[in-house]
Amino acid sequence: MASEKKTLYIKGDRDVEVTKPDVMLGDILSMECSDPSVLPGIKTLKIVKFGKQGQQRCVVSVLKVIECIHGKYPMIEVQNLGETDIIVTYEEQKTPPEAWHIIKTAFVAAAAFCGAAFSIMAFNNDVDVTKLFGQIYELAMGKESSGYTVLEISYSLGLSIGILIFFNHFGKKRFTVDPTPMEIQMRLYENDIQTTLVENAEREGMEFDVGGNGKTDPSGRHRT
Amino acid sequence: MWAETGKQILLAVIGLSAGAAVAGGLFSFIVELGVIADFADRTHTGDRLLLYESSVAVGGILGNLFYIYGGTALLNLPELADVLYGGAGIVLLGLFGLLAGVFVGCWAMALAEILNVFPVFMRRARIVRYISVFVVSLAAGKSLGALLFFWQRW
Repeated sequence: MASEKKTLYIKGDRDVEVTKPDVMLGDILSMECSDPSVLPGIKTLKIVKFGKQGQQRCVVSVLKVIECIHGKYPMIEVQNLGETDIIVTYEEQKTPPEAWHIIKTAFVAAAAFCGAAFSIMAFNNDVDVTKLFGQIYELAMGKESSGYTVLEISYSLGLSIGILIFFNHFGKKRFTVDPTPMEIQMRLYENDIQTTLVENAEREGMEFDVGGNGKTDPSGRHRT
Repeated sequence: MWAETGKQILLAVIGLSAGAAVAGGLFSFIVELGVIADFADRTHTGDRLLLYESSVAVGGILGNLFYIYGGTALLNLPELADVLYGGAGIVLLGLFGLLAGVFVGCWAMALAEILNVFPVFMRRARIVRYISVFVVSLAAGKSLGALLFFWQRW
C-alpha cells in the first residue's frame, strides 16, 4: 500500500445493464486515478452477485461502492462524479430472434399508423371540418361548396407540412440537428422509470447501501 | 375575375394555416402523452423510434386524405371498390379497428395518467393494495362502455 494520498475519480451511469451474474466495479463505473497501477485491482472488485435465473435488478448506492473500494484500498480518496444511485440490471445473454424484433416493430408501427389515422379522422369528425369548410367557402365565395374545394386541398397540404415540421424529419432525413419530440419523450419516460426504481428500492430498504442489508440476496423479494 | 382568384387565394391561405395549426396541436397531443414512447419501451424497440414517428406522420396524412377524399376515391376507382367489397375490406377493417382500439385505449389511459387521476384517487381513498384489481376493472369498464355505445347505436 503506497503511503501518499491518492485520489480515485469514479463516474457511473444511472442505468447499467450487465450480462454476467458477478458484477465488478469496472462493469458499472468508469474510473480514473492519479496512480493507474491500482485501476485494474479496483475494476475487478466484486460489488453484487446475482442469482442464476432470469432478469434481475438491484439498486446500488455509491456509498456501497466506496465502502467496497476502501475495504481493499483504505488510503484512496474516492471522488464520485456520477450518479449517487446506480440501477444494475442483469439480463442473461440471450438475444431474442431477429424475427420477433421485426414482428414487434411492425406491430408498433402499424398501431401508430392506424391510431394516428383514426385520431385525425375522429378530430375532423368531432369538429365537423366538412361543415366548417362549407361555411367558410360560402362566406368567401358566396356560393355553396361542392365539398372538394381549394380549402380541402390546402388543409391537407398544410396538415402534412405541419406534421413534418413538428416531427422534424421525414424517414431518416432530419431537417435540423435537434432530437425529435418522440426521442425527447422516450428519454423523459426512461428517466421517470429510473427515478421510480431508485425511489422504490430506497423505500423498500432494498438498496445496496452501507450499514443496511447489503448482504441480502438481490433476487430476494420481501415486499412490505 | 381577379376578385375570384383573390378569394381562392384567401381560402388557400386559411386552409394551409388551419392544417398546420391542427397538425401541431393534435400531434403534440399524441406525442406528449407518450403513448408511442411507452409502446417502444415495452417492446424494447426504442432504436426504431424514427420509424414510429414516420408511421404516425404517414397515418395522419393518409387518414386526413381519406376523411376528405375517401368517398370520391372509391367512386373514381371501381376496381379498388370491387376488391374492398369483395372480402378484403372486412379483414382490413378488422385489423384497422383492432389497432386503432389498442392505440386509443392506451391514449385514454395515458391522458388519465398525465392528469394524475389515479394517484389522486388512490391517495384520497387510501388504496394501497389490490391496485391491479382497480386497473382490470377500469379496462373492463372501458370495454363494456364501448360495447354498450355501439350496441345501443348512440
